[in-house]
Amino acid sequence: MTSSPQQLDHLLAGVARGDEAAFAALYQAAGAKLYAVALRILRSREAAEDVVQDSFFKVWERAGDFDPKLAAPITWMAAIVRNRALDEVRRRGNRPAADVSELDEIAGDDEHPVEAIGRREDVERLMRCLEGLEPDKRQMVRLAYLDGMSREALAKRFDRPEGTIKTWLHRSLAQLKGCLEQ
Amino acid sequence: MNELDDMDALAAEYVLGTLAHADRVEAEARRAREPVFDAAVLAWERRLGALVEVVAPVQPPPGLYNKIRAQIGLSSHVVSLKAREQAIVRRANRWRAATVGMTAIAASLAGVVFWQDYERRLMPTQYVAVLQADKALPAFLLTVDTKANMFVVSAMQKPAEAEKSYQLWLVHNDMPEPKSLGVFDDSEMDVRPMAEGKMHDMMMDGTYAVSVEPKGGSPTGLPTGPVVFSGKLIKATP
Repeated sequence: MTSSPQQLDHLLAGVARGDEAAFAALYQAAGAKLYAVALRILRSREAAEDVVQDSFFKVWERAGDFDPKLAAPITWMAAIVRNRALDEVRRRGNRPAADVSELDEIAGDDEHPVEAIGRREDVERLMRCLEGLEPDKRQMVRLAYLDGMSREALAKRFDRPEGTIKTWLHRSLAQLKGCLEQ
Repeated sequence: MNELDDMDALAAEYVLGTLAHADRVEAEARRAREPVFDAAVLAWERRLGALVEVVAPVQPPPGLYNKIRAQIGLSSHVVSLKAREQAIVRRANRWRAATVGMTAIAASLAGVVFWQDYERRLMPTQYVAVLQADKALPAFLLTVDTKANMFVVSAMQKPAEAEKSYQLWLVHNDMPEPKSLGVFDDSEMDVRPMAEGKMHDMMMDGTYAVSVEPKGGSPTGLPTGPVVFSGKLIKATP
C-alpha cells in the first residue's frame, strides 16, 4: 500500500459525492489488500470475490458514513470486508474443503514485513503490544483476526477446551487494550 | 491486569472474529439497537484494525472491478434515467408547442424521432436513442454509457394490445438479419454490460427497431409484426 490514509480519506470523500473516478481510484488503491483479507478468511477465490464485490458496493453506498476522526479509511473498509467474510464463513459452519492446489497457490498467507508498511504509527503500536503477549496467545489473536478462526477451531488447534480458549482470548484482549491505551 | 467487562469482551470477540454464527448474529442485532455496544465494537475495530496491514495484497481477478461497476451502474442509472426521462419529455413538449401547425414535422413525430439532448445535462460519454411515437412520452429510450460500459433499455410504454409484446432489434448492414435485443411486455428497464468487439461497433452505428410481436416475442427469431419505432444512437453532447 503506497496510499496514505489521507489519500484514501480524500478518495472516500469523493465516493461519498458519487464520484466514479474516485471510486475507481479507491479500488485501485485498496482492492488488492481487501481481496487478500477476504481470501485469507474464506480460502476460496470465488467466495472472496463475492465478498469484495458486496463490500465495495457497500462502500459506494455508505461512504458518506465514513468519519475520518473515528477510523483510518482502510480500517473502515477492512471492517466491512471482514464482517462479511466472517458472516459467510460462520454461516457455512466450517471452511469449504478448498482444493489443495488452489490453497497452495493462494498467496494470502504472505505477510508484509512490518518494515515495508511505511511505518504507520498505529500499526507500530499494535505490533509492539502484540509482542507483549505470550507467543501462544499472540498466535491465537492472529489466527482469529487474520484467518477467521473461531473459538472452536482454536480449541482444536491448541488442543484446549473452548472455555479455556475463551478465557485466554479475553485475557489477551484485555492486555492488548491496556497496552494500546498507555 | 485490567479485565474486560462482559459487553466489552463480547465486542472484542465480535471484532476478533471468534464468535460462533448465532453469537455473531446476536451481536449484530445488538449493535443496531444499542449505541453503547456499537461504540464498543467500533473502538475494537480501531484497536485491532492495523493488523490487516500485515496481509500482503493479492491481485483480485481482472473482471471484479467491472462486476462492481456494473452493480453500481445499475443503481445510479435508476436515478439518472428518471431525471433524463423528465428532461426529454419536457423538451418534447416544448418542441411540439413550437411547431404547432407544421404538419410535416407533426407527421414526423408519429414516426421516427431522434432527440439530441440540448439540456447539456448528460455526461459526454453517453449516447442515446429515443424511439418515439405520437405521444408526449418516448416509447423506448436506449442509452449507452461508455464510462460505465452499460447498455440501458428503458421501455416506457407497453403494447396497446395485451396479447402482444414489443421486441427490440438491432439492424446493421454488416449483419444479414436483424438481431433481437430483447422482448418487452411492460414499462421496464433492462441494464446490461455493453457488448464488446464487432457487436459493440454495430450497436453504436446500427439502427434500432421495435416491432410488435406475439406475446413472448417473435416465434421465428426475426421480426414478424410491424415496426412501430426505430432510431439510431446519437451522442448526447454536453
